[in-house]
Amino acid sequence: MIDYDLLTTKNLDSALDYLDKLENVKLIAGGTDLLVDIRKNVSRLHKIDYVLDISNIEELKGIQKKEKYIEIGSMVTHNMLTKNIVINENFPILVDAAKSIGSYLIRNRGTVGGNINNAATCADLVPALMALRAEVVLKSLSNQRIVPIENFVIGPNRTDLKKNEMVTYVRIPLLGGNYYGCFQKIGRRNALSISRLTMVLLTKIEEETFRDVRLVSGAVTPYPQMFTKTIEVIEGQPIKKINIEDIGNAVSEEMVSITGERWSTPYKRPVIASLIKRALVNVIKEASDNE
Amino acid sequence: MHKIVKKSPNRIDGYEKVTGKAKYCADMNFYNQLYAVTVYSKYPHAKIIEINTKKAEEIEGVKAVITAKDIPGNNIMFGRFPVLAEKEVKFVGDGVAVVAAESENIAKRAAELVEVRYEELPAVLSIEEAIADGANKVHEDLEDNIIEHSHYVMRAGNIEEGFEEADIIFERTYETQFTDQGYIEPEAVIALPDSYRRGIEIHGSIQNPYSIRENVAKVLGLKFSQVKVIQSTIGGSFGGKDESVMYMAARASVIALKTGCPVKMVLTREESLLMSCKRHPFIMKYKIGAKKDGTIIAVEDEMYAQGGAYNNKAMFSNWRGSVHAAGPYAIPNIKTDIYGVYTNTIYCGAYRGFSSPQILFAGESLIDELAEELNMSPKEIRLKNCLKPGDEIATGQILEPGKIPAPLEQMITDICEKTNFDNKRKRFADENNGTNPIKKGIGLSCTYRGCGLGGEGIDTAGATVTIDKDGSINIQSGLTELGQGMRTAHAQIVAEVLGVSLERITFSNTDTSVIMDGGPTVASRGTLAGGNAMMIASKKLLNRLHEQAAKMLNCQSTDLISEDDLIHHLDNKELYVSFDEVIKKCLMGKGISLSAQGWYTPGPEELSKETGRGNAYPTYMYGCAVAEVSIDTETGKIDIDKVTTAYDVGTPINPQIVIGQLTGGLMQGIGYGILEDVVEENGYLKTLNFDSFLMPTIKDMPEIEVILYETDDPIGPFGAKGVGEVGIELVAPALSNALYEATGKRIRKLPLNLERVLLGHSLSKGGQK
Repeated sequence: MIDYDLLTTKNLDSALDYLDKLENVKLIAGGTDLLVDIRKNVSRLHKIDYVLDISNIEELKGIQKKEKYIEIGSMVTHNMLTKNIVINENFPILVDAAKSIGSYLIRNRGTVGGNINNAATCADLVPALMALRAEVVLKSLSNQRIVPIENFVIGPNRTDLKKNEMVTYVRIPLLGGNYYGCFQKIGRRNALSISRLTMVLLTKIEEETFRDVRLVSGAVTPYPQMFTKTIEVIEGQPIKKINIEDIGNAVSEEMVSITGERWSTPYKRPVIASLIKRALVNVIKEASDNE
Repeated sequence: MHKIVKKSPNRIDGYEKVTGKAKYCADMNFYNQLYAVTVYSKYPHAKIIEINTKKAEEIEGVKAVITAKDIPGNNIMFGRFPVLAEKEVKFVGDGVAVVAAESENIAKRAAELVEVRYEELPAVLSIEEAIADGANKVHEDLEDNIIEHSHYVMRAGNIEEGFEEADIIFERTYETQFTDQGYIEPEAVIALPDSYRRGIEIHGSIQNPYSIRENVAKVLGLKFSQVKVIQSTIGGSFGGKDESVMYMAARASVIALKTGCPVKMVLTREESLLMSCKRHPFIMKYKIGAKKDGTIIAVEDEMYAQGGAYNNKAMFSNWRGSVHAAGPYAIPNIKTDIYGVYTNTIYCGAYRGFSSPQILFAGESLIDELAEELNMSPKEIRLKNCLKPGDEIATGQILEPGKIPAPLEQMITDICEKTNFDNKRKRFADENNGTNPIKKGIGLSCTYRGCGLGGEGIDTAGATVTIDKDGSINIQSGLTELGQGMRTAHAQIVAEVLGVSLERITFSNTDTSVIMDGGPTVASRGTLAGGNAMMIASKKLLNRLHEQAAKMLNCQSTDLISEDDLIHHLDNKELYVSFDEVIKKCLMGKGISLSAQGWYTPGPEELSKETGRGNAYPTYMYGCAVAEVSIDTETGKIDIDKVTTAYDVGTPINPQIVIGQLTGGLMQGIGYGILEDVVEENGYLKTLNFDSFLMPTIKDMPEIEVILYETDDPIGPFGAKGVGEVGIELVAPALSNALYEATGKRIRKLPLNLERVLLGHSLSKGGQK
């Protein structure tokens, strides 16, 4: 059994103050991951002495459009994301990713900050946020730093969070025109489903050519990562010259080069290839529809 | 004309459940109550060298720690289940000690301090290992790993001659997995020392109170009547709340008598999945022989059911299996052998269907495979071979017209017409030639199912119906309400017989001290046997009321009829007296008892256990299903577009409840077919909560259509048949057959998960499966 004292606050400064003064504090927002892990007696939680509830901090529940980016408070829930007009207009792949999480009840509880901080192998928002080149705003009592999410998530359930810091906001740079995206998820059932595989493709298509390609797959590598080698194959290619089969092979190869042959590889190898093919067909169609 | 029966009023216990007023066992608390927590085995198979409970006992608030040596009577219950393992643990869910403390937290902490030294023994983990030559034994005192009395045979015709006549012969092997009932409420039991006499009172989420009573009495060294079991409101069971609550009732009762305190034991979900019974995994080897025209001449099969460490069900479920092994077809030559085997794994018991979901998956896949070999359609081959009026089933029993209905041929024709089966098959086959990775398929399956216990045991049931001075009528059954709606069906039967409104009826929970042991609530017999007992009791009361009314009306009691809360003359409606007036006269004027017991005993069945020949069940029900699927051939995902089912239910006492049962069964069948999988690795259970043991959610529910056929069945009350189980068994084979139609892949192992659909085999950390 994991023993802890529960602290709660409505105030960001007092939360940061707790983090500064106390040792072995674990933050809780929606609790959709943490409470499950506590029940499972997960070993990485054995050391906690305090659980600090930050879900009541109102100032972290906003979504604001700034000049160059959209700022999402870390306590914004998945359902707040999916219902937000600004997010729907600017980042439909993030909406699709958020909609795929758990169930309606889970999406009412789970937060953007929690999904990033827990950094699960199968986290559904993280691949979308990586593809969007989101930045994580980290605050401590005396400091603030901004880290690209790709550098923040450094391993399965591991982040660059310092002990006195918390994630306060996520900033997503506004995309210019001609960006097309696709989010896909494979699960065993249609709700409350832990991803077997997710894939986010986001790319600019200009003059019938792929530019600024971003490709992230979730639940296939130990933690969501950019598929840089596959991106290189697509980047700068004219739509007409694209060889979908080759790209399928490339993404499979890249996955296996990261993970090695695992028990699940015989399944994931062909499926990830199918997903990239579908994603490409999808964005190409969208781009041509848009012309 | 029926007034109450064949209508769908609200459930009589619906108000309490919908408003949250009904108390479940875990909601109840008693003064001075202790909380008990079990210490489980660390190994699938090991010798217990020493159990040291000292550290646990020293914790403040701990009131008792018991081990096998504290059991006052028999430590071994029916089916070899030990209350607590004494010398050896045989699976990871075996209990070795129980800690009782003032709070649940203290008990949990103390349980972690019980020290057990083990010496690991080699474990038998699969059917293959259990039946291999020179296999290690799960139970040293037995000759081998075959469960006692679990081998059943069926011999019809001459199997060798049958195969000689056949134009085509082939063999196939099918396998199924462990699955859990997945009820919402985890098991809970409270044992109270009897306040008035030597004895114990047990409340709990218990499916079968009488078998619990019998086993606990033997454990405590008490007389059966000194153990009183009261069923709490139950949050689902599906056959599952039996062995697990037997363990719990026994453990809690031992501590209650030892300490003199009420003892509460509530399982966590993890414990429930760890130590409650699963559906038996089967390996089924079939050999089939047929004529070129599709006539099936011979079926030979050998089946093994994995029973786990202990078992008190394979000896019943295998018998049912032996009757149904050859499916709903008229086949002249049959040879069936079915065995249960012990393994050092989670034990298996009852789960909706009781061997039929496994056997139907094999049999209904097999017949589609035969159709494919003969270039016939799945419909054609079934119509040719299905049981028809006057046919002989595997046991030699004749489906005698007028006695045992056999409408299956018509049902298959109808459902195929309704679903446009032939056209869709052709259309999908054409469309699937295209490049779209989503392939469509349509699959058919059909079944027949023996009603009630049949040869498993005597299908008795008891009921008490009591009319009070205020005109209210209380019903109490020896069978239990499990959420299936039995109580409401019973109330409708009683109200129909007495000619009164349903509002008069109230109910009491099942209590073993009030009604005689009429057996367990299993085998879809709640309405069939339990309803007949209600009918008998109600008719006794009706006679008494009519006799009294006849005196009041100056006429013959045989000329009277009860309806609309009145008793009136058959020919003259004006000659009447109200139900309430007659009651008052009986109770206050004449001192006539208005409480009656009903006891149902079915006629004796003639059946040979040696050959399987004879009358297996008093009657049968029939069903067929059509599943339409879209398969993503690039990801292995099955999307179920529609499932249509049709069942012959005799008379539906409450059509809405019947459809509810059949729909619920259908969804559980979908889970069995494509999702549910209790994963064991080296004897350790990996799926200990609902994040890993996956069942379908509402988002996985396809379009569903359930069609009811009514037949004139002479056995059940008003001609009703039991519908609790039949809904689950047709789904997996219909899906598998549809998957084959869509992809050309025949998968012979359940569940049809992503990996099997894509690759043909499953994957696990341990390798291919």
